[in-house]
Parts: sequence; C-alpha cells; structure tokens
Amino acid sequence: MTKLLITEITRMGPALCVIGLQREKETIQSVRPVPSSANGWMYFPHERGEVLECSLVPFPAVKPHVEDRVSTQGFRKAAVIPETEIVTWLRKAEISSSLSGLFGCAVHENKKGSGLNVMPGEAQRSICGCDTQNIRLELCANELRATLVLSSGEVLRDLPVVDHNWRGFVEKALGPERGANRLGRLERFLNSQFHYKILSCPHHFIRLGLTRPYHDVCWLMLDTLFPLPKPEWLEEF
Amino acid sequence: MAAPSSSLKSQDPWVQLVEECFRREAGASEPIPNETVDLIQAGILDSMAWVGFLRSVETASGVSDLGGALNDQPASLAAVLSALRDSKGRASPNSDAITEDVRISSGRLTVITGSSLALGSKVVPSEEVDRAFGMPSGKLRHRAGIESLAYAAEGESELTLGARAAEEALRGASCGAHELDWIIATSETHHNYPSLAAQLHSRLLVRENCGALDVGGACLGLLNALAAANALIGSGSARKIVVVTADVHSRTLTPGRVAGEFGGLFGDGATAFLLHAANGGESNFGYRLGEFLFGCAGQYAAAIQVSDDLEGGLAVQFDGDALSRAAIARLEKIISALELRSGIPRGEVGYFATHQPNPRLLTLLAKQSGVSPEAFSPICRTSGNLGSSMCAAALHSALQSASQLLVGERKPIFLASLGPGLLFGGSWLTPT
Repeated sequence: MTKLLITEITRMGPALCVIGLQREKETIQSVRPVPSSANGWMYFPHERGEVLECSLVPFPAVKPHVEDRVSTQGFRKAAVIPETEIVTWLRKAEISSSLSGLFGCAVHENKKGSGLNVMPGEAQRSICGCDTQNIRLELCANELRATLVLSSGEVLRDLPVVDHNWRGFVEKALGPERGANRLGRLERFLNSQFHYKILSCPHHFIRLGLTRPYHDVCWLMLDTLFPLPKPEWLEEF
Repeated sequence: MAAPSSSLKSQDPWVQLVEECFRREAGASEPIPNETVDLIQAGILDSMAWVGFLRSVETASGVSDLGGALNDQPASLAAVLSALRDSKGRASPNSDAITEDVRISSGRLTVITGSSLALGSKVVPSEEVDRAFGMPSGKLRHRAGIESLAYAAEGESELTLGARAAEEALRGASCGAHELDWIIATSETHHNYPSLAAQLHSRLLVRENCGALDVGGACLGLLNALAAANALIGSGSARKIVVVTADVHSRTLTPGRVAGEFGGLFGDGATAFLLHAANGGESNFGYRLGEFLFGCAGQYAAAIQVSDDLEGGLAVQFDGDALSRAAIARLEKIISALELRSGIPRGEVGYFATHQPNPRLLTLLAKQSGVSPEAFSPICRTSGNLGSSMCAAALHSALQSASQLLVGERKPIFLASLGPGLLFGGSWLTPT
C-alpha cells in the first residue's frame, strides 16, 4: 500500500485531477493517481490534506505526465493534516524559482494569443511548485486566469486557474443567492482583499501544472494556490 | 503568417479586425461563425483559445481589458463587437480613415522630415574583436554574421556622435536649432550627469526654453522617445522636436568585464530624427507617425539582465539562445499586431526598421515573418548591435532609401523593437 498526501485537486471541464505526494526513499515526489480507463475522476470523495492509503501501479506514462499512476483499489483515509503542513511538504517536492526550471525545458509563449506552453517531448515533468513575488487573479470573459511573477522576476500571464477550491469559491461568489452586482463585487475582492490575504499569508505557495498535449503542446496552468479560499471570505464582499 | 485576408467582405473595420483575430486563433480555414454563436459552447474555441483570441483583439484594437467587459456575456463574436463599439470613444479600429479622424480631433499629426546616422568612426574587423575577447577567430562572423564593428574613436562619445547626428538631421531638413521645442535623448550607455539631453541642449545651442528630456528603455529607447515626441506634438505643446539616440558600448562592454559572446556583439553609433507637427501641406519629404503599441513580456525577464556589481564591474546575465528565440517570436508578434492595428498588410510594407540583435537573427526574422530579407537593412552586419541606436539606424536607412523614390512609389515603414524586460514596442510610418 502507498501512503499518499493529497495536495491538489484540479478541475477542467467535468473531470477532477488529483495529485498527491509520496515519499520515495529520501525524496518527496508528486504522484497523480488516475483511474484505469481515464485521465481524471468524475467523482473524488476526498479533500486536500488527507493522507490516503491506496494501491498505485506505475506504468510507462507519456512525457511529460510521468507522475501518472494507475489506482487499482479504493482510497482509505488514514489521516488529515492542516493546510500549513501541506505546504511544508510541497516545498520539499519539485520546486523551481525560474521559468526554465519549472518543467526542465524551455517555456514558449503562445504566438497567436495568450498563455504559455511547452513541447511535450521536452518537458521532464508535469507539475512543479514555485515561490512568487506577486499574483493577480482576474475574470477574463468568464474565464478565471492568473498572472504571476516568479522570484526570478519572470512573469507568467493568463494561466488558466484549475484549482478546484478556487474555482468553487468564484462560482459561489457569483451564485444568484449572493444578490446584486455580484461580478463587480468579486472583481473588487480580487483586486483588493485577495491580494493582501494571499501575499501576507506565511504559507503562500503555488503549484503549476501542464495540460495533456493539445494541438501538439502542453499548456501551463495554475494547479494550486495556497492559501485556499475560506468560506467566510464570501461575507467580506 | 499570412498577411491579413483581403477577402473580408465587411466594410466595418471592427468586424474586419475581429474576424482577422478569430482566423488567427482558430485557423485560416475555419469559417466565420454566426455572430451570436457561443464559441465555447459550440466547441469552436476552447477556453484557452477564447482568451487568446480576446487578447489578440485587445492588442490589435488598443482597447484594454476587453475580457473584463465581457464577463457575464456569452463567448460570441457579437459580444466582442458590442464591447468594442462601446469603447469606441477610447480607441480606434484599424481603419486609416477612422484612425485619422480620431487623431485629428484629439491632436495634431507628427511627421518625420529629417534623419541622420553617425557611426563610430573606427571600423574593427570582427576577428579582431574575437581575439580581444579571447574567442576563437571567426566566431562573431560565423555564429552571429557580424563582419565588422563600428567603435567610437578617441574623442568620440555619446555626446559628440549624438550632436553630429542631430546637426546633420537639422541641416538636411533645413531647420535651425533655435526652432526646436524639445530635445529627447535616449542612450543605454550614457549614465553621467548632466544627462545626454542636457548636454545636447548646450552643444546644439538651442533656445533656453527648449525642453530636454531623457528616456530609457535600452534598445526600445527610440520607440519610447518617438512616442513621447508624438504626444508632445499631438497635445499642441510642441511643434518641432529632435529625437537623438546615442550609444558607445565599446567603453563599457569591454574584455575582462563581460564575456565576448555578449560584449562582442555591440558597436557604437548615434542617430537623430527631426519631428514636427504636420501642417497638412507638406511639400518636402516626410513620413507620418502612426499609432504606438507597447508592452512588457516579463516571462523573458531573466534572459538578459545587466547591473553594476560591488567591485565596480558589470554583472551580466545573458541567455543568448533563450533571448534569440524570444526576440524573434516577439518581433514577429509585433509585426502581426501592427498589421492589424494599421490595416497595412506586411506585403505592402516597404521597410521593416526593427531591432537587429545580429544579422543571423535578422535573416531568421525575415524568414519567420514571410517577408523579403531586402525589406530589412542589415546595418548590424558592419556596425554591430547599436543598442538604442539600432532600430533607429534601420529607420534612418529606410527613410534614406525611401527618399530616393518618387512620391507615389514610397511605401509604409514598420517599426518594431525590444528592450530588456522583455520590453517591446512598435509603430508604423506612412509617406506624406
């Protein structure tokens, strides 16, 4: 049995993607449990911070998604750790302070529009943590996007935000039960309190991921943003 | 990339712009969908491409934060067009007629009527530079395509070269120094005080109430200076301005201070351009300035960084390969944006006055852009990279070539340059 600390749950379309950390001798490495017949989960009943016992089988994954492991049995919750501790473990896993170090290859800008991508054959992994100097979230034509600056000073623009918790928070903020002018209120929050809450948080941390190859390239996305949004923040705007 | 399609049926410049941006994102063969179709729901664009498409429209139209205006709206062309039309008072589409209407109503147009180039007078074969930097002989020639470098001779400096260029530009346009309202200078190597603009003010003996302004941006300096001059003239607060670029790298990027793969690329030179408010009846040679686009692609910030170190030397971080890739990709992107913003297809452009990191990359840029290499004047082959004076030297060369042509044969000029950051900017000029 493998012990897996669930560190991120991302959402693209209807499917959830789950990533966790496992100890491999002296190293902490990211692992992506996948069902035997798909890349994502239509239902995943666990939360971040849960330590799950599971059975994972390595298989020759196609680069750059070398972290994929097939889950052959169900998950059994063994423990739960707090958010701050998740980040402590994430900092011991894959991490980079520069753009080229994120996935071990050159990162290219979209020649036609926005976003950044890598060549699937060049990337050495599909997930990596990073420290950031600044971050901004915005709703661009109903799409949640992040722009951030790494500690190296390099800027990454228009990354799709696929963090399940953050997407859920934004959806709740825009829910009809929230009353009038919901969009304007959310935008004000993202431009003001959000900034303070995130950057002043001692366990602020970000993990970036790569999409599966699409039109011959893998797109960068923001997988995880710590701190996770708190339900009470919705009362502030 | 192909030039904007000439088969666009609509005469509405907003529709043309949106359709062109859509084709660039979705592919040239993708039919233009009905305006009201939700592009994401219909599976025509995914969310990544939808945002990419909007960013492309923002760049091409000059309308910022289009994405914000489209929240709570369907992902349709109709919604994009509506948001663009709502912002019509703030920006102009890519129609010469409308662009000019807006600019005339908001201010005066700017015309370049004179230019000059003053290179360092010492011509040094690149093999000699190879040896000085301890590199194998022939490296600069074969790797970068640089045959020789223009170095400042004894007694030459940013000030003397800049003053010489300014005096020649004024003389060529029959303009006295006392007629100038502003001197705008840019240099990536002059860090002394009084500033370069202030020293030029004294050297050229302009009126005391002529302004002197220094702008930065390194290799983007010319574009920044032209934009500042254009704004001063457009606002009516100035009629005649000289823009001067001047760079002497050979005394800063020296062997022992920086690696030859970086320092060996640079030469010395200066340029000057005389700009004045168009009076509508120019009889002399001139090129009218178009709009400007600027930005900063911060993902490339680490590719080149230069700072003073504690020992008085230079700390240079230079990833040549990454910078080369970024430079070509970004310059090509600027050219595409200029096409859309100006409505001038690249095939109708006479000259491309771009930054020239080195001749090899210039050839690559011509190839990537799908335009003739002859539309680029490879000044850097015999002078080296001139920093803020590089794009300027290419512009001077383009203006010189155009001046040899009959009025009706003169074609537009595209300007595109880059600076560390990665700053980028572009503009275009059309013959008067």
